[in-house]
Order: sequence, then structure tokens, then C-alpha cells
Amino acid sequence: MDKKISVKVCLGTTCFVMGSANLQELIETVPAKYGDKVDVSGVPCLGLCSIDWEFSKAPYVKVDDEVIKEATVEKVLKAIDEKLK
Amino acid sequence: MFIDIDCSQMKKYNQNAFGDYFVSKRYPDETRLVAVLSDGLGSGIKANILSCMTATMLLQFISNDQIPIRQAAEIVMNSLPVCKVRHISYSTFSAIDCDDDGNAKIVEEGNPEFIWMRNGEVLEPHYEIIQSKTFKNRRMKVYRIKLKLGDRLIFCSDGVTQAGLGGGRLKLGLRREGLIVLLKDKISENPEVSSSELANYVVNQARNIETDRKPKDDISACVLYFREPRKSLIFTGPPYHQHKDKDYAELFKNFDGKKAICGGTTANLISRELNIPIQMDTTISVGKLPACSYMDGVDLVTEGILTLTKTSEYLENGTSDIDNAAGKLVKFLLDSDEINFMVGAKLNQAHYDPALPIEIEIRKNIIKKMAQVLQDKYFKKVNVQYM
Repeated sequence: MDKKISVKVCLGTTCFVMGSANLQELIETVPAKYGDKVDVSGVPCLGLCSIDWEFSKAPYVKVDDEVIKEATVEKVLKAIDEKLK
Repeated sequence: MFIDIDCSQMKKYNQNAFGDYFVSKRYPDETRLVAVLSDGLGSGIKANILSCMTATMLLQFISNDQIPIRQAAEIVMNSLPVCKVRHISYSTFSAIDCDDDGNAKIVEEGNPEFIWMRNGEVLEPHYEIIQSKTFKNRRMKVYRIKLKLGDRLIFCSDGVTQAGLGGGRLKLGLRREGLIVLLKDKISENPEVSSSELANYVVNQARNIETDRKPKDDISACVLYFREPRKSLIFTGPPYHQHKDKDYAELFKNFDGKKAICGGTTANLISRELNIPIQMDTTISVGKLPACSYMDGVDLVTEGILTLTKTSEYLENGTSDIDNAAGKLVKFLLDSDEINFMVGAKLNQAHYDPALPIEIEIRKNIIKKMAQVLQDKYFKKVNVQYM
């Protein structure tokens, strides 16, 4: 296991009001759980809300290249677990 | 030149209203500034009404450009009623009409003479006296002066020059000489002192020499400082035509002054076009706003709509020193004299989702509101460009 898993939490306007404000706890809980295998950071905007705005599924989180729609802490942790398997 | 203007005031001890009144108005298109300081007879509410009336009427006369400052002042001087009890006029005033090139017209009636400072020395300008046709004891002084970069004009009410009157150390009060000493001290200590700091300093010093630090009269000091403007640029929202992204990014890059980006997509755009990586603040966002990010060569990077809305609210309420992105943006704006907004007109459809909180406003509206407050309340020069 060489490569770190990268988790990017979108902190753009849409995502932020749709719940990514609460996802920020990942920035603290993930390193505590997985150590340095996973790298979590906020990003100004993933640009996803403007693409499929008609079916907006904000907040978005990216775990490596996988986009998690309507992200919750549980969904993100599950995706990380999958990757680590 | 930029005219940094501010006024600091203190009420007379035991009064609940200011007896001096200060108003000013800036005309960004004409690069002109008009300001009036008036001192109402007596103190408290009565003085407040008198000075407020005098100052606002005079400002109205001058600013509508219908009556030149000299005639306007003459009209007011000739028509101010006389107090039945004290047999003196209802209020006194100083008014200034000046522009960015340093041309200034000043009239004074009854207020202490203004002080003109250049390189730490006081200049004595020539003036003309106009005698009132209706009242023998009223006359006003009219000045026409040319200011240079770095000059300061200090106006004050007699509460400053008479501070400490009859007290222990200064039997005749601070007077003009004492005020000049205070000003010279402060300016030699900090030659670039801002108008608000200098005005506050004068008012506090005047209060300090009053017996028991209780002002016996309303104290006001107004400072005008002619200096190089501190310019700033706020880039917010992606341009309507995507093919112009590069041009606007270049404009942003080449701007001479402080720069801020408000908006996640906007930050990505600049990052992409100018090849500057974005680093997000790792701390968890405080309150209801996303944290700032960092980019080389950019002074402030924040989220867009939410931060701008909050900033506008802080500016309107006069809230400062808040430790979040909007608080930082407030400081950024207030530390500038000339603020340029580059506002992208592209809409993000996702923001119109009814599921989103109602606070999500249209960018253009927030900027319009913010520009208004910055101009009217903080006397900033604001330019807004849509792209």
C-alpha cells in the first residue's frame, strides 16, 4: 500500500449549504482512524453542482476518482474502507 | 490623490446626543468630496438638531451643484436664527469642497480655524472675510487653497480648542497652539497615520485634559489626508463568455494592488489560467462560512456567495474583528481606498434549486449592495465591472 487515498470535500457554496459544512469533521476523524493512509482536505469547488444542476446531488466528495453524491460521513468512510480492502 | 477623510466625536459629559454634526459625501465620478462640520448651540438634543439641520442643509446646497459653496455658506450665515436666551447664532460651521487634484474651497463661520499641515509644518493660508449683511457679529472666512500629496487638513469644534478650559494645567484650554503640538507629535511618531487614527487621537487627548476626563462640551475632530490611494481588486464569479477567462485572468494578474478572489469556481479558474496551485486551509471552518484558501500572489481567497453576503451584513452593521472568511474580507476592504470589483455574470443553476437556503442571493445584487455601503458609510471609491 504505497499510494495514499485522497479525499476531497467540496466546500463550494452549493455543497456547503447542502451539508458539507458537517462533512468537515472528516478532516479530523479520518486521520485519527486511518493514520497517514488517507489524505483529507477541503477544496474550493469540485465544479460538479453546475454540471448536473437539474438533479443536484450536493454535497459532493471525491474519494480518489470516485464521486460520492449526497455525501455523508458514513458514505465517505464506507468508500474509504472499500478502497483499502 | 486619494482623500482619506474621517471624523471622531465625543458627547458632552452627561448628554445622550451629539451636539456636533458631521456629514460628507463623495462623488466618485467627479472625483470630488464635500464635507461639513457643524456645532450646534448648547448641548444634547437641542444642539444635535441645530447642527444636524445646518450641516445637512449646507451639504444639500453644495452637493446639488446649484449653489457654489461660498454663496451657500453666505445664505446659511445670513439666515441662521439667533438664540433668544443667549443672543448668538444657532450654530457654527466649517465646510469644504475639494477634489482629487487638491483644489479645495473652504468656508468657516464661528468654528475654530482649520489647520493645514505639510511635512509636519503648519501653513497659513490666505483668506477673504465676508461680513453678514443681516447680522453684524457674523462673518465668515473663505479660503481657496491648493493641496499637495501628503497634506492634511484638520477641522475641529471648539470642544477641542477649549478642552481643559479653567482647569488646573491649561487655564485657557488647549487652544490652537496646543492642538498643533498634539498633531505634530502624532505625525512625527507616525508620518502615515490614517485620518481615523489621527481624529481619534485628537478627541481622546482633548478628553484627557478635561477635569476628571469629563468633556464640558461636545468634542469633534475631522481629518482629511491627501495621499496615494491603496488599491484593491476583488474578482468574483466566472465570466459569462468562457473564452474570455484567460483575458480576465491576465487582467487580474497584472493588477497593481491587493487582490482577493471570492468564489470556489472563480479560484479554480484563476488557478487553471495562471497555473497557481490552490491550498485549502486545513482548519475546520468557523461558524457558517467555508474556510479561506491560499494562492501565491493572491492576498485572500474565499468562498463566494455566502461569504459575500455575510461581509455585506458585517459592513452594514459595522461589525469588525470577526475571525472568519467574511471578517477577513471586511478587513481587506476597509484597508483599501479604491476598491475594484470584477464580477462574473455567469450563473450557477444549482444555486436556484429551491432546496437551497433562501440566503443564496444573486451575485450582482450583493455586490451592488456592498458597493453602496462601502461608498456611503466608509467613503470608499468603488468601481464595479461586469464580465
